[in-house]
Amino acid sequence: MKLELYNRLMQMQASRRALLKGAAGAGAVAAFGSAGALGPLSPLTGKALAQDNLRAEILKIPGVGKGSPTDADWQKVGELCLGGTKETVKEGEFAGVELTFMGLNNQNLHNLLFRGFLKPWETYTGAKINWIDLAQADYNPRLQQSIATGTVDFDIIEMGAPFEGDTAGKGLLDEMPDWVKTLIDMDDYVNYLKPPVGTWDGKTYRITIDGDCHTFAYRTDYFGEGSISGMTDAPTTWDEVDEVTKKVKGQSDPLTGLDAYGFLDPLKGWGGFGFYFLEDRATAYAKHPDDPAWLFDPDTMKPRVNNPAFVRAIQDVMDLIAADVYPPDQINADPGTTAFQQFLAGTGSMICWWGDVGSNARTSDSSVIGDVVGFSINPGSKQVYNAKTSEWETPATPNFAPNMAYLGWGIYVTNRVSGDEKKRKAAWSAAAHLGGKDLSLWCAAYPSGFQPYRNSHFNIEEWVEAGYDSDFISDYLGSESESYNHPNAAIEPRIPGIFQYYSIAEDELAKGFAGQYKSAQETADAIAAAWEKITDEIGRENQIKLYKASLGM
Amino acid sequence: MTSSTPANAPLAFDRPVANATSQKMAGKLMIAAGSIIFVATLAFQILYASGVIESGFDTWLPVLYAYALWAASIIFGQVLVRGERGSRATFVLPAVFFTVALVVFPTIFGFYIAFTSWNLSSDAGRVFNGWDNLRALWNDPFFWNALGNMLYYGLMVLVEYAVAFGLAMILNSEIRARRFFRIVFLLPFMLSPVAVSWMVGKSIMENRFGPMARLARLLGWERPAFFSDPWIARLSIEVMDAWVFIPLMIILLLAGLQALPKEVLEASKVDGATPWQAFWRIIFPLMLPVSITTIIIRIIFKLKLADIVINVTAGGPGGATDTVSSFIYREYRDRSNVGYGTALAEFYLIAIIIFITVLLIAGRRLARRYGALPAVAES
Repeated sequence: MKLELYNRLMQMQASRRALLKGAAGAGAVAAFGSAGALGPLSPLTGKALAQDNLRAEILKIPGVGKGSPTDADWQKVGELCLGGTKETVKEGEFAGVELTFMGLNNQNLHNLLFRGFLKPWETYTGAKINWIDLAQADYNPRLQQSIATGTVDFDIIEMGAPFEGDTAGKGLLDEMPDWVKTLIDMDDYVNYLKPPVGTWDGKTYRITIDGDCHTFAYRTDYFGEGSISGMTDAPTTWDEVDEVTKKVKGQSDPLTGLDAYGFLDPLKGWGGFGFYFLEDRATAYAKHPDDPAWLFDPDTMKPRVNNPAFVRAIQDVMDLIAADVYPPDQINADPGTTAFQQFLAGTGSMICWWGDVGSNARTSDSSVIGDVVGFSINPGSKQVYNAKTSEWETPATPNFAPNMAYLGWGIYVTNRVSGDEKKRKAAWSAAAHLGGKDLSLWCAAYPSGFQPYRNSHFNIEEWVEAGYDSDFISDYLGSESESYNHPNAAIEPRIPGIFQYYSIAEDELAKGFAGQYKSAQETADAIAAAWEKITDEIGRENQIKLYKASLGM
Repeated sequence: MTSSTPANAPLAFDRPVANATSQKMAGKLMIAAGSIIFVATLAFQILYASGVIESGFDTWLPVLYAYALWAASIIFGQVLVRGERGSRATFVLPAVFFTVALVVFPTIFGFYIAFTSWNLSSDAGRVFNGWDNLRALWNDPFFWNALGNMLYYGLMVLVEYAVAFGLAMILNSEIRARRFFRIVFLLPFMLSPVAVSWMVGKSIMENRFGPMARLARLLGWERPAFFSDPWIARLSIEVMDAWVFIPLMIILLLAGLQALPKEVLEASKVDGATPWQAFWRIIFPLMLPVSITTIIIRIIFKLKLADIVINVTAGGPGGATDTVSSFIYREYRDRSNVGYGTALAEFYLIAIIIFITVLLIAGRRLARRYGALPAVAES
């Protein structure tokens, strides 16, 4: 779980407990307990039964609401989760082996947790791990420079799936041994994180430790009987979203009394990450259920970003700009602004974002919309563009294609260890320890920098048993689960330089939104031309090969 | 054996001739050995890196060590060869070698990179592509747009100069709490531009709750937005950047004002000059050399403007606030386009050098016309 989310969640729960559970609640529970009237799903029964249950045990470290975990806690969790290692590795088997691990140190999480988790692993196996800690901003340049200059100096790497093209695609990774696949129970992954994610040319490279996707968050007080939108329910398609956005113009926000606004499109770039937000609109039009590709043509790498589907998405935004329905200065609003300075602060009624924003809506101190927020998967479209036939199709039900933006973090082993079987086994054993099923539950529940990504993470009872508020955690998890498992999810292409494509697209979109291009088509054509140039620079044939591999074609 | 030394000559020690000759020889040998080792190591590694020979060092670190050895051999060798004069040079030579390693070499190497296609995501790696990057630059609307914006930002330095001069004059006059105000006026310069981006650009100028927006609404601007209209956005960026750097200009100008000859100013008063005449006929001309230096230093800072733009507008709306540096940042960092990014940077460096040189010459002529620069200063 993200640290910020955890802290806010704890603040919220503390006040709730004080108000609702307090002494009266405790007394009532005690009375039920003494009477032997506890039901099978009662938290107290669960706790009693969980004494022998490893998952329940680790969720007690340090205990939800008892402050942020420390290195001692991470080591305890690591120690308790060593079962898989002990099954596959003899004590002291890796004595003399030294491994280098490169990862992040964001918010003092990531690598810092890994150190604690792996300490008992090091003690048991005899291996030693050296650490390369990087700030988020330094990560991409460091990785790209290592690859480009042939100076990969790490054996294990924490890496996002979008970089698989840069690494697996270039043969820099070591294939996952079968014993690891069994050990980490990959079948438990949510659908979209299953192959082809983590694989290249049918070979598996990734141990997933995180999940990411965009979901739709909306203000419930904008909808319903007598609401300012005039709609009974929240919109489910983009034309409805845009209709509401235009309709609420000039009205007052029911919560803040200030000007009402509809959907909050970020119109400013965000280091490449801003393009995900145009994708939120475009995937509904462009991701055909029969075609895994939606961003490029897999046979030619010809961009689809200027096909009618993407042009329609850009046009939608341009129409809203022309209608002057966005908040002032929206042209200078990046995704961080739309989420944290606008939506959570009561400006605007609809937004697509990662799971963080949905949960922060109820837990952030700066959020004013906690009681009037609802979630669903990203809006769909009544029409979907078929790139193969170049025709618009109208399916019986709207086309939904949740945007699986970024695909989460994973642990990978580099080919530096491939020639040394002992070292290779040690590297994969360490990686498997970090990606273990039980340990991952702890990471999902406590500040770690990672979000849920396994089906087993969506067992509400475990969370409640650990001390979480049932309503909140159901909301938090439910908003992500449906997107994760959607059959027509738009999976991000894992090709080299993917953020280069996004970055230049942001620049061209900014020009288009500022009216420097004559039309959406011209804007899209400019993006496509820039993408073609990047593809040629990186190498078209190789990109085609890698793109197909990333799509599992 | 002693020698007669003039009273005002530097102190020198006499050494036996044979000993001095052997020292010279040792020095020359030392320099030669250091040079041979360095050249041999460099050549060996270049041949290995270019695939001509099969064995070599894994990294270029040994070449760096050889360079350090070469530098040390030259420094110590020339002390032995040149005696006292060589000893004096040891104060300068380490800095020279340091500058060569960290400034001259990277710049020259950068010129080579500028003539390559080097996208970090490309399998092909670094490939020489002749003039392609310059051709791309010539046809790149983002670059020319950013350069056009730099013209605007550069011209605004004159406005900043006028403000700074006025404030420096106030701080130079006999006002109450002069020391206090001098420190207060310096505060913005002590702030990081990144902090200013967040404190001012993202908070004070936030269009909904920011104090500036509230004030603008009070004054009748119904929907204030400081970064939506291209010209307002440019002006907002300029105001933030000026706020940070005007104090630097004030310090320089204040130092100049305090160094003005008091007797000249007093004589003008005795002769009945009005304050305006004293400023325009005496202070301004006398301050020209300082003013030119101040403006040039400020322009150099201005031409590097990037941090506030990157943090507040990312170059928007539609490139209206983009600077060459922020564009290079995106090209280099976000797009890993090392070849083209370096070409942009090197082209910009040359343009800046030419521009500043022209500015210096023009400034010198201007100062001479006003009689503020003695003829000897022209050299």
